[in-house]
Amino acid sequence: MNSLMNFFAAIGRWWLGVLFGLGRMGIFFLCTLRGIIYPPGKTPLVIKNIYFIGHKSLFVIIFTGAFSGMVLGLQGYYALSRYGSEGFLGSGVVLSLVRELGPVLTALMIVGRAGSAMCAEIGIMRIDEQIDALRCMSIDPHGYLVLPRLIAALISFPLLTHIFDVVGVWGGYAVGVGLLGVNPGAYWDGIYRSLEWLDIWMGIVKSLAFAVLTITISTYKGYYAGVDRGSMGAEDVGEATTSAVVTSSVTVLVSDYVITSIMM
Amino acid sequence: MKMETGSNDSKALISVRHLNSFYGRKQALCDVSFDIEARRIFVIMGMSGCGKSTLLKHLIGLKKSPPDTVWINGEDVSKWGHREWNDYWLRIGVLFQNGALFNSMTVGQNIALPLTVHTNLPQDIIEIMVEMKLHMVGLSGTAHLMPSQLSGGMRKRAGLARALAMDPEILFVDEPSSGLDPITAAALDELLITLKEVFSMTLVVVTHELESAFKIGDYMIVMDRGRIIASGTPEEIRQMPDSRVQQFLNRRPDEEQRDYDSYISRLCKVKRR
Repeated sequence: MNSLMNFFAAIGRWWLGVLFGLGRMGIFFLCTLRGIIYPPGKTPLVIKNIYFIGHKSLFVIIFTGAFSGMVLGLQGYYALSRYGSEGFLGSGVVLSLVRELGPVLTALMIVGRAGSAMCAEIGIMRIDEQIDALRCMSIDPHGYLVLPRLIAALISFPLLTHIFDVVGVWGGYAVGVGLLGVNPGAYWDGIYRSLEWLDIWMGIVKSLAFAVLTITISTYKGYYAGVDRGSMGAEDVGEATTSAVVTSSVTVLVSDYVITSIMM
Repeated sequence: MKMETGSNDSKALISVRHLNSFYGRKQALCDVSFDIEARRIFVIMGMSGCGKSTLLKHLIGLKKSPPDTVWINGEDVSKWGHREWNDYWLRIGVLFQNGALFNSMTVGQNIALPLTVHTNLPQDIIEIMVEMKLHMVGLSGTAHLMPSQLSGGMRKRAGLARALAMDPEILFVDEPSSGLDPITAAALDELLITLKEVFSMTLVVVTHELESAFKIGDYMIVMDRGRIIASGTPEEIRQMPDSRVQQFLNRRPDEEQRDYDSYISRLCKVKRR
């Protein structure tokens, strides 16, 4: 009986922990939005972060986009050729990329590259008392550290997603048309006929949602690195970074399903 | 807002009354009360882990204080909102234990940050002010360096220059001389005294360096396990008969720690088993 009570108590504690974390993250996000009205000016910080999130992720996005498109071209060709429908390859590649793979893989790549770095940087600032120092200089840490990153992500994510899509379409073209002999006219015609504004709009909505979710999670994890345990050491930053990447990645996949089901 | 009996009469800049503080279930501060007068150097002394830094966090607003426990300029800080705290933070400077410099900025940018954010001063004036502050702490010509290029002591002095950037009314200093060589530590002590005498600044210094504390302090408290065990002027503290105060002042370890022979014999017994 006692062990059963302990079991339920453990579940209850876990749920309370989850609810506490979600509530605190919500307050963290609202505090970040409030930062818009407080100094300092955000423009230089936003530009710096666009460079970090956007420009520095460009190579990995192009690389991933190209190979994703190539794999889609290859898989799509062999699947469609069974039914003699190779002409639909362009359509299959572009819809997979624009609706799903573009926003999701772009977000996952940015989480791996920039999200982890942001979390670690803010975590180190936390354990080194730099966040406390900001507060004592009457500089809102949310407005100074989180908001510029969020704005930069809202600009960078859709742009990188579109670059991913375009490169992916050319990757699919290179394999489908260049290697496997699909008719180039059929490939482009398939894209032209199947792609609708709703698909592009869905990609944009997803990339914006992923930007808000991943940046909020990554910065939140860094901001509270070690705070709950009261230890604040290098280990806490490592743990926070791992947790930021895992939580952001899972959230991207879950929210992808939710957004798709709403918009389809 | 009326203060509790006792603090009403004092013209203290900061008053703390019966402050208790907790980290989870662990009590960090227990019934702490004192007054800090303006234009004085107030020293908080005690061994590591005695609650000095927690107390400092309450005074600078990084830890929430219960109602009617911390009063600044006669106002109960528990009733302060965002605006009041921001106004207060603009009037204080804080030197953190390891400087807390932003690693992505140069030393100059670190010191310029509060000036850039809170003033409309032109860039060339800010640069002059940065150089002046660096000169004050003996770091002239280091504005272009990154914090990683500085030694621990230099980082601390750069942190002090940043804390002084806005010419604060109250300067909170956490362990100013720890990790510094004796000459630099003495120079820093002199600087703190100058800040009080020339700029009429109020200083709250947290330290466990006895020599430094007695040199600079006008009034001091000694803490042990979250409680104040002694308070008074440096001379009064020296004369206190309390055994814990004398143990701290004479740098005597606990009896338990001093009994090396029994410790070694206990260790040998454990090994033999």
